Amino acid sequence: MKNRLRVLRAEKSWSQQALAERIGVSRQSVNAIETGKYDPSLPLAFRIADIFELPIEAIFLRD
Amino acid sequence: MTCLPRSSPAYRRYTKRFIPLTVFYIAAIMLASLFIPDDAAASPATIALALLPGLAVVGWIWAMGSLLVDLDDEYLRMLEVRKFLVATGFALAIASVWGLLELYTDVPKLPVFMIFPIWCLGLAVGQIWNRISGA
Repeated sequence: MKNRLRVLRAEKSWSQQALAERIGVSRQSVNAIETGKYDPSLPLAFRIADIFELPIEAIFLRD
Repeated sequence: MTCLPRSSPAYRRYTKRFIPLTVFYIAAIMLASLFIPDDAAASPATIALALLPGLAVVGWIWAMGSLLVDLDDEYLRMLEVRKFLVATGFALAIASVWGLLELYTDVPKLPVFMIFPIWCLGLAVGQIWNRISGA
């Protein structure tokens, strides 16, 4: 699944570590999601969406 | 595993459980080796002594299961579960293939207690698999 996480994070000038701390996961998790190696669960996707104050479908895109 | 996940509370709890169990295992092995002769008959005393190291092994398995429960990072948990699955496949493959070799040839018998160390070796294979698969 594609996502806009890297772009959204860059807009906020957050490092991967900073975003990881905000959503309560490891930096490795953020990296894996950004690079498309791992698709987050729905609860984690909602947490990410809440952080960016965007709907899930504005962050995660259908292939 | 990298430095960051290992510093997470779940990994710290795992280490805190694993180290005393390892000390207990080594002590129990030494005790059993010291007091049970090689050809000793099964008696309540020898069985009890021989079971002691087994308790530590059960403890290790419990510690590893608890790690999966304690890990609140779903990606890291997925990596651990994948390692466990690779290790299980690795141990089953070796036990099955070696068992057939034992059945049809005169290769040395693989002691059953070696299955757990082989499974642990499989964890290393799982770790390598996680790395090369880019996870």
